[in-house]
Amino acid sequence: MLLVLSEEHKEHLGFLPRVDSAVVGEFGRIAVEFLRKGTNPKIYEAAARKLNVNSEIIQHGVEGLTYLLTESSKLMISEIDFQDSVLVLGFSEELNKLLLQLYLDNRKEIRSILSELAPQLPSYHGLEWRLDVQLASRSLRQQIKPAVTVKLHLDQNGDQTTKILQTDPATLLHLIQQLEQALGEMKTNHCRRIVRNIK
Amino acid sequence: MRFRFCGDLDCPDWVLAEISTLAKISSVKLKLICAQVLKDLQGEGIDYEKILKLTSDARFESGDVKATIAVLSFILSSAAKHSVDGDSLSSELQQLGLPKEHATGLCRSYEEKQIPLQDCLRACSLRLNRLDSVSWRVDQTLSSSELQQVNEPLVHLKFNVRDGDGGVTEPFAITVSAEKFRVLLEELRQAQAMMKTLN
Repeated sequence: MLLVLSEEHKEHLGFLPRVDSAVVGEFGRIAVEFLRKGTNPKIYEAAARKLNVNSEIIQHGVEGLTYLLTESSKLMISEIDFQDSVLVLGFSEELNKLLLQLYLDNRKEIRSILSELAPQLPSYHGLEWRLDVQLASRSLRQQIKPAVTVKLHLDQNGDQTTKILQTDPATLLHLIQQLEQALGEMKTNHCRRIVRNIK
Repeated sequence: MRFRFCGDLDCPDWVLAEISTLAKISSVKLKLICAQVLKDLQGEGIDYEKILKLTSDARFESGDVKATIAVLSFILSSAAKHSVDGDSLSSELQQLGLPKEHATGLCRSYEEKQIPLQDCLRACSLRLNRLDSVSWRVDQTLSSSELQQVNEPLVHLKFNVRDGDGGVTEPFAITVSAEKFRVLLEELRQAQAMMKTLN
């Protein structure tokens, strides 16, 4: 599948043929670094001074390159499709090859960074429990009422929350049974077939 | 194979794997490392430097040192959790492959500190919140906007409630009229009598 680049994007990338390939390579390295650690506007200033152009043009160039790389990595387009998409920009053969190499070298890493951006549900962090027996209350003496109190520690993107739950032993046994059934599902033929095919 | 110190369950694979690491240290040094781990489990902090010195003869890598501390923490806290006596623990560890002197030394350290360790574990069991302190004040209401001569006693009670994890103390204040207070006191006395019979 081909990448369709907007006019504005093409304009931003239009800066790249105006500098030599070493600089384009450097921009590529900066773009991947920004994807890893976040942007640093000071680098734009430094580059602008060295190349004697407006820092905004440099910023657009690097951002255009970043967007080209993330879109290509996201869609996992083949080499040929990438080359055809870039052909539209009318760059030199050398520049096209450079961009292709940049894409292929960094594709895996960019995909792993993009996978971290998916929304996350709270995940299990820890569990504390306690078994109590209620012997009497204000309204009724001589009781025996066991209860299990559970403190569930959850972790969502680094934030820790806790949830306090309470249940009687019968419900707890039912809960355990349901969870064991869920685990048992992994051993059915249906699940095994799917897991084998994903691998 | 069921082990009492694992709560009548199988011994975890990683514990089994690290028993051989424990056997590489001399039994005297193992006893000293045990003492450090017991201090840590009781919340007194661990002297990592000392443990590094004790394991330096066996030429442990940092991963091995951490594994040693982890497996000792597990064995000692799990044995205390299930109230296993020193001799049973010693024989079970020998069944897992720990040499006799190492097992005996370990269990002697365990026996010395078993009661304090169990007290510590009891103290950090799940508690939702606890009462820190109570303060009270008795006032006499002389008059109000509704009635000119009121002349009634009023009790102010302030409970300082500490959050379960030993966190912030929050005050909780109520005012109680004389009759309501008598009822409250009577019910609490009955609850106290019941708690005394259980003790």
